[in-house]
Amino acid sequence: MITAAFVLLALAALGFGYRLLAGPTLTDRVLGVDGLLIVGMSAITLQAMRTGEGAFVPVAVVAALVGFVGTGVVARFIEGQGQ
Amino acid sequence: MTGEVLALLGATLTLLAAVGVVRFPEVMARMHALTKASTLGVVLVLVGGAVTLNHPNDVTSLLLAAALQVLTMPVGANLLSRATYRAEQEGAAE
Repeated sequence: MITAAFVLLALAALGFGYRLLAGPTLTDRVLGVDGLLIVGMSAITLQAMRTGEGAFVPVAVVAALVGFVGTGVVARFIEGQGQ
Repeated sequence: MTGEVLALLGATLTLLAAVGVVRFPEVMARMHALTKASTLGVVLVLVGGAVTLNHPNDVTSLLLAAALQVLTMPVGANLLSRATYRAEQEGAAE
């Protein structure tokens, strides 16, 4: 079941990566990065579940914080840039 | 077992968010798809991990990550959509 979840996450990462590379506006690229970060957090959690070893779990907390700060910074940048 | 089902559900929601992000025709629609679906998706995966893992350190870390995600994801999306909307308005006014 965890393997199936990993497969679904990999497909989701492909979709987000496409939007990151192709997205016409800067906002689309931010969406792609956000999605990839979410996939990364989920993958860390799934790996911890699979092995029963939680050494990497704090990385998920850090990823949540960094993702929020990054989104906020780029939002300010878009607003200042006027496009 | 419960945790695995939750994690699979969360991964499915994340995949649905990715499908929305790829297929929706407009920036705001794509942001809508990503924010709602993937917030619930990642929170389900994290709660599934918290149910499955045994050590209290791991459980609290995962629940903290889930709480942070619930608190920050709507705020970040609001910031981003407001900035995008204002930039569009300015671009249209010029």
